[in-house]
Amino acid sequence: MDTVFRLGDNLYYLAAMVLFIIGFHTMLTHANLIKKLLGMNIMETAIFLFFVATGYIRGGRAPIMQVGQDHLYVNPLPSALILTGIVVAVSITAYALSLIIRLYRHYGTLDANEIALLRAREDE
Amino acid sequence: MFQQLPVILLIILLGAAFIVPLLGRKREWLAFILTAAVLFALFLGAIVLLFVVRYHGPFTYQLGNWPPPWGIELLVDYLAVYVLMILGTIAFLVMAYGARDLQHEIGTNVRHWYYSLYLLLLFAMSGMALTNDLFNLFVFMEISAIASCGIISIKEERRCAEAALKYLILSTLGSGCFLLAVAMLYMVTGNLNLQYVAGGLPAALSLYPYNILIALSLIIVGLGVKAALFPLHVWLPDAHSAAPTPSSAVLSALVIKIYAVAMVKIFAVFPAELFAVVPVLEIVLILSALAAVAGSVFAMLQDDIKKMLACSSIAQIGFVFMGIGFFEGQALIGGLLHIFNHAVIKAMLFLAAGLIIYATGIRRISEFRGLGMRLPLTMSAFVVGALAMVGIPGTSGFVSKWYLALGALESGKPFYIVVILLSSLLNGVYYFPIVITAFFGSEPQPSTERRDLPLSMLVPVLLLAAATIFFGFYPRPLVELLQQVLASQGLR
Repeated sequence: MDTVFRLGDNLYYLAAMVLFIIGFHTMLTHANLIKKLLGMNIMETAIFLFFVATGYIRGGRAPIMQVGQDHLYVNPLPSALILTGIVVAVSITAYALSLIIRLYRHYGTLDANEIALLRAREDE
Repeated sequence: MFQQLPVILLIILLGAAFIVPLLGRKREWLAFILTAAVLFALFLGAIVLLFVVRYHGPFTYQLGNWPPPWGIELLVDYLAVYVLMILGTIAFLVMAYGARDLQHEIGTNVRHWYYSLYLLLLFAMSGMALTNDLFNLFVFMEISAIASCGIISIKEERRCAEAALKYLILSTLGSGCFLLAVAMLYMVTGNLNLQYVAGGLPAALSLYPYNILIALSLIIVGLGVKAALFPLHVWLPDAHSAAPTPSSAVLSALVIKIYAVAMVKIFAVFPAELFAVVPVLEIVLILSALAAVAGSVFAMLQDDIKKMLACSSIAQIGFVFMGIGFFEGQALIGGLLHIFNHAVIKAMLFLAAGLIIYATGIRRISEFRGLGMRLPLTMSAFVVGALAMVGIPGTSGFVSKWYLALGALESGKPFYIVVILLSSLLNGVYYFPIVITAFFGSEPQPSTERRDLPLSMLVPVLLLAAATIFFGFYPRPLVELLQQVLASQGLR
């Protein structure tokens, strides 16, 4: 029972881990390149959620300081860092998509297995 | 007065990466001059920093003048200076070679973009060497990942796009793992600055041991994927062989090493008691031993010269990680020394292979017969590289293996000497046939294509070959520098 309550308290971490595994699994097992990329994005989002959750305090407010008022504030640093992380993830996604387009133009398929087959035939 | 130098170097590299494409639209030669000048400035800056650190000791630089717990800090210590020196030297020589080589490998319309990506890659690697902040390290890792994929996929061949995509996906996986590890460490210590993390970890270890253990394993996987440590190396042979020759040289010589350096930096943060209890270092050791043998076996199976060199990098990065696995004394010196030695030797071998391809169009090792007569200087450099890879005394490859072997004895694990010997013998099995066919092949094959070698391509190769022999006979300055690295990291 105690474990269940503790999981409930750390629901964000649990959700992040579940998402991470979903993303990881999609990325490694699907042959479709676009699905691989989606899996990669889910995985990254999970990490971002995890990171932001480390700074969250239940009942905390946005960290805007006002004179004379003393509130509980959420730690702003993880959110600021993850903003950078999201930018990086977006640029990697854009770049990967451009590479996928190039592969599709050449092979006419998005399936990694088929591409491997076609390539083996070309190399012969 | 040299306080600002580290950040100036970074700004020059980043700024030039943005200016070069603008210049290159109209005047490509101007873009090249600027690139080469900036790389030379990096080299000079590294030398100056070496003297500053030597006479005044390591120092830190606070970006934006924000003090450490909040701001990002650059740490200029012996390790950073050592790495910067390697980066500057190799990058400059490879670019000097690339001036002519790139003309036949990539189109004119993208060549200035190549210079830009190259500078961006160097910026990211220098940043990784200098930074003292975990998240900043992650950002530099991502810049380096995109830039290194960029200099592969810039060649308009379909296999380059494939190799780059594979590299990009696996590398993102690696940096994802690393970021998760950073989050775990931030959770328990509340800091991202490496010094503060080191201060907070002993207390955190008793409270949240699992967080730290998971973080440690994620760091090994994350950096291991990017450094192509043995079971995580699958992307390397394609990526490094498909790329244009200067990219192959830089990727093999510098990019995979920088992650090993990052690992040294991060491992130094963890308390030593942790390594005594958890067999993390043993795992790294075992993986490195497997890499040293398996990489050589993969290389034996290749017929494409560049693919063979790429596979041989898997074995050689194994030696670097072997030093990290011992993480003390002579072995760590050997591992770190191998970063320099392998950077010089592998850059030289890739450039020599590039020269062979440039001059004759031959990529297959089985067609190398009689090449020694047609390209005597290139093949002589190749022989020096082959001897150094095998670890013949008098070449720099021997010195780092010698220190690794001494370290293995010191730590009471003589088994690893057997691994080093076995890997060296396997190296001999695939390097010497090339030399023998090239020089003693019966009749030279009719030349398919013949171009004279420009001096600007030949000189970097010969300089690197000379360095291989020089540091084989006189490794003392490097070893002394590395002893100081160990002392300043608080290791034995």
